[in-house]
Amino acid sequence: MVNSYRPKYLNEALKIRGEKNVIPLAGGTDLMVRFRNISGAIPKFDKPVLFIGHLDELKNIEIENNFVKIGSSTTLTSLLDSENIPSILKSAISNMAAPTIRNIGTIGGNICNASPAGDTLPPLYILDAKIVLSSIDNQRIIPIDKFIIGPGRNDLKDDELLTKILIPNKKFNKEFYKKLGTRKAMALSKISFAGLAEIEDDKIEDIRIAFGAVAPKIVRSRTIEQEIIGHNINEINELSYSIVKEYSEFICPIDDQRSSSIYRKQISIKLLDYFLNNLDNI
Amino acid sequence: MNEKISESIVRVDAHTKIGGQTKYVGDMKFDGMLYAKTVRSLHPRAKILSIDIPDIPDGYFIVDKNDVPGKNRVKILIYDQPFFAEGAVNYIGEPILLVVGPDRDIISQIISQIDIEYEPLPAVLTIEDALLENSPRIYGQDNCFVSHEYIKGEPDDAFANADKIIDGEYRTGYQEQLYIEPQGVIGIYENHRMTIYGSMQCPYYAHRAIAEGLGWSEDKVRVIQTTTGGAFGGKEEYPSLLSGQVAFASLKTKKPVKLVFDRDEDIQTTTKRHPSVIHHRTALDSNGTIIAADIDIKFDAGAYAGLSDVVLQRGMFCASGVYNIPNLRVRGRAVATNTVPNGAFRGFGAPQAFFAMDMQIEKIARIIGINSLDFRLKHALKKGDRTCTDGLLRHDVKIPEMMSRIEELSDIRDKIKKFKSQTGRIRKGIGLSMFYHGCGFTGNGEEIIHGTATLRKYPDSKVEILTSNVEMGQGALTAMRKIVAKSLEIPIEDVIYENPDTSRVPDSGPTVASRTTVIVGGLLKSAADELKQRWNEPGEIEVSKTYHHPKYIEWNQETMHGDAYPTYSWGINVVEVEVDTLTYEITPKKVWAIFDVGVPIDERMMRGQIEGGIVQGLGYGSIEVMENIGGKIQQGTITDYTIPTAKDVPEIVSEMLDNPYEYGPFGAKCSGELTLIGAAPALAAAVENALEIEINKIPVRPEELLEKMEL
Repeated sequence: MVNSYRPKYLNEALKIRGEKNVIPLAGGTDLMVRFRNISGAIPKFDKPVLFIGHLDELKNIEIENNFVKIGSSTTLTSLLDSENIPSILKSAISNMAAPTIRNIGTIGGNICNASPAGDTLPPLYILDAKIVLSSIDNQRIIPIDKFIIGPGRNDLKDDELLTKILIPNKKFNKEFYKKLGTRKAMALSKISFAGLAEIEDDKIEDIRIAFGAVAPKIVRSRTIEQEIIGHNINEINELSYSIVKEYSEFICPIDDQRSSSIYRKQISIKLLDYFLNNLDNI
Repeated sequence: MNEKISESIVRVDAHTKIGGQTKYVGDMKFDGMLYAKTVRSLHPRAKILSIDIPDIPDGYFIVDKNDVPGKNRVKILIYDQPFFAEGAVNYIGEPILLVVGPDRDIISQIISQIDIEYEPLPAVLTIEDALLENSPRIYGQDNCFVSHEYIKGEPDDAFANADKIIDGEYRTGYQEQLYIEPQGVIGIYENHRMTIYGSMQCPYYAHRAIAEGLGWSEDKVRVIQTTTGGAFGGKEEYPSLLSGQVAFASLKTKKPVKLVFDRDEDIQTTTKRHPSVIHHRTALDSNGTIIAADIDIKFDAGAYAGLSDVVLQRGMFCASGVYNIPNLRVRGRAVATNTVPNGAFRGFGAPQAFFAMDMQIEKIARIIGINSLDFRLKHALKKGDRTCTDGLLRHDVKIPEMMSRIEELSDIRDKIKKFKSQTGRIRKGIGLSMFYHGCGFTGNGEEIIHGTATLRKYPDSKVEILTSNVEMGQGALTAMRKIVAKSLEIPIEDVIYENPDTSRVPDSGPTVASRTTVIVGGLLKSAADELKQRWNEPGEIEVSKTYHHPKYIEWNQETMHGDAYPTYSWGINVVEVEVDTLTYEITPKKVWAIFDVGVPIDERMMRGQIEGGIVQGLGYGSIEVMENIGGKIQQGTITDYTIPTAKDVPEIVSEMLDNPYEYGPFGAKCSGELTLIGAAPALAAAVENALEIEINKIPVRPEELLEKMEL
C-alpha cells in the first residue's frame, strides 16, 4: 500500500521531502499516465506521493529584480492568463494538450518530466530560465539546461522540490514558434522550434534558437548564436548554409511512432532556415 | 406527428447521455461480482511450451482453454479462432487466459507473476510476405482465407483492343474504431442458465457463439445489450469472443464476472479496418473512354478469418466506383498474417476500394489531359446501367444533379485551375470524390438471415418495438420510434423501445451494414401499417414481419453476378485543404457534401451521421496513422493513435437530396456508413491539386509529402 502526503504549507512539504522517499506530484498529468494500472486498480506508484499542486506558495507569478518569478505549481492555464509571461512561452503553452489538461498541468511538472518533447522547454531554454531548487535548509539556483540532464532525467535531489522558475525580463522584437504534432490539439510534439531575436537597424543584436524533440535534450547552441550576433540581416542568406550545417550536428532525431528521423531533421533545418531568412518580416 | 418524417426531434437518449445519467456496462455491478483481466501472447507466432502460474489466493481463478465446455472456437463465419489459445499463438495480444477475482490490484499482481514460455515460430507479417512462395504457411495452401473473382463483359478482348492502358497501385492503412466506451461484457451463471450483458451491435451473434462455446442449447442463453458508447463495427463480431470468455469464467466461478478493456488493450488487440493493397489496370479507347478494368484487391485479414470474407466482397463490389465500366475483372484476396485480426468498421471494405478507384480516375484524367470532373461525369452510372456485378440500377441515380449542386456550392471547377502552379509557403488544393453504399447485407445475406421485427400493442395503447437492433450512438432508438409513431399516428412517447434482450426479441439480424433503418425500419413500417388496420382489436396485439428482398433481385453468389444490393445510397464530397510547404502539414479548410439517402428519417440525426462520417474519413485519410512492425501495433495508445479533435475539424456544408426508395420506410435508404467513404479520397485529391503530385497511399502523412517533394 502506498501512502500519500498532502501538506498545507511549502515548509511542511519540504520537511516531508527531506525525511521520506516520496515522489512529488503537482498536476499529475504525466505521472498518472506513467504509473497507470489496469482499469479499476490504483496507480502503480512505487513510492509515496507528495501532493504539491495545491500549495498557494507555489502558484504565484511575480516580477522582481527584472525577473519573472513563476511558482512551480502554476498551471499552464494560469500562465496563459497572466500578462507577465513572455509571449513565446505562451505560444508554446497554447499549443499544449487541451484546455482541460492545461487547467491542471503545471510548468514545474513539465520541466521535471524532462521529456525531449516537453513543450515549455525550448522557450524556457532560450529565455535563459533559471530553476530554483529548495530543500528544508538549502536553496540553489541553476540554469534550466543544467537541470535537465537527459531524456526523463533531471538534477532534482532527493530532498529538493522545484519551487520557482526565474525568467529574465528581457524583450525581443522578433519571435517565431512552431510546434508540429500529429494533430492540432492533444498531441505530443514531433518537432518544436523556438526562435527569438533582437534586431536594431537591420543588425542582429541578439538571437536565440532552440529545437525540441530532435535530440535527447533540447538543442540550443550559444556558440552558434554568438557567430550570428552582430551580423546584418542582409548577410544571413550567405551565412545560413554554414549555420544550418553547424546545427545539423546537434540535431539527431529518432524514428518513432510519431514521425521519422528524416522528417524531423529536414523540417528542423527548414524551420531554422525560415527563421533566419525571415528576420525582417516575422 | 403530422409533419414530414425528416423534421428533427430531440433524440430520445440525448438528455440522459449528455447529463451523464446513462449507465454503461462499466457502471454495472452485481452481488459478488468478480473482475477478469486477460493474459495475452507476446509473440506474433509461437508454440506455448509452458504456463507457470504462481500460487494464487483463495477466491481467485485462472480461466483458460480447459474451461471451455463446448467448442473452443468463436462462431463467426468459419471456426478458426479459439476463445483461448490452445498451445500456440498466432498474433501479439491473442488471449491465452483470464485471471479472475474480486480485487483488481491483486489480479494485476497475479498477472505480473505468470510466466509463459514460448517457442517462437517464423511469422508472416505483411500482405507481401504472406504471398511469397517460400513464406511460412499459416493458413491453407496460399495464406489466403478466401480468394474471389468475378468478371463482367469481355475484359480480355477489351484489353487486347485498348488504345491505352494505365496502371496504378494504391495502399490504405489501418483504422481503429476508437469508440468512446471500450469493449465490455458481464457473464452471469445462474440456475443452469447463462446471461450476458454487453456493449455490442449484434446480440444474436454473441448468443449463438456463447451457446456453442458452452455446448448448450440456445434457449439456456440470454444476451442483453447494454447501452453502447459507440461501436463503428468494432462491436459487431468482436464481443462474441469476450461474451464466451466471461460465460466460461462465470460457469467456473459461479459468480458474475465482468471484463472491461483498458483503452490501450482495446487499441492493441481488437479488430480494425483492413489495410489494403489495390492494383488498378484500366483500358481506354482512342476517345479516352474507359472500356475495361482489371482490379486486384488484397486485404490484410490478420491472424483469423473473422468477417474478412464479407468485408472483402463489399470491397470488390465497390471496386469500379460509381463508374460504368462495361468490361471488368475483379479479383480479391483476404490474406492471413500473424497480426491482430481485422474486422468490421463503418464502410466495411468500401473505403479502401473507393479510395483506389478515385485516385485511379484522377490519374487517368491527368495522363490523358482531361478535366477530372468531366471525366468522372462522362463515366458516371445512371438508372438503367449495369453495376460492376451486372446488376441493374433500377432507381434514379442523381449524380448529375448532385454534381452541379456541389460545383455551385464549392466552386471546385474554377478552384482546381486556380490552385495549379502556386508558389509561396501555403498552397491550397481542392479535390472531389464520388461514391455509393449498397444498402443492407452484401449479396444474399439478407435472404439468409431473414430478419424478423415485431410490434406489440398493449391494452393501454402503448406499442413496443421488439427487434434485436441496437442503439450505438447512431440514433436507432429515435429513428425506429419515429417510423412506428408516424405510421400509427400516435405520439412518440407511446412507443417503447428497450435495449434488446434475446429472451424477448426476435432475431432481426445484426446492427450492421447500414441495414437498420432501411431493412428493419421497413419491417416495422409494414408491421405498423398492419397494426393500424387491427388497432381496435381487443387485448394485446402482436404483428411480426420477416424480410424478403424485393422480387426483382437476382443474385448468384457462385459467380457473383446480379444485384449485390437491393438499392444504393450516393454521395459526392469536396474537400479543400491548405498544405504548408515549410512543414507539409495538411489542414482541411472546408468540406462540401451532397448525399442521396432516399429520405432521411431525421434531418439532424442525418447531419450527425454526415459530420461524424466526414471527420472520421478525414482522419482515415490524414492523421490516423497506425503501423504494424514485427506484428506489434506501434501507435497502441490513445496518445499515439490520433483521431481528429474539434480543432482538426473544418467547416462542413452538407445537403441532402430527396430520392425516395419505394421499399424503404418513408422512402429511406441507407446512411450510416456512406458518409465516411468520400472524405479520405477527396482530401487526397486536394493534396494532389495543391502540390501537383500523385498520391497513392492513405493516410497522407507530412513525412511522405516531404519525401515526394524534396528528397
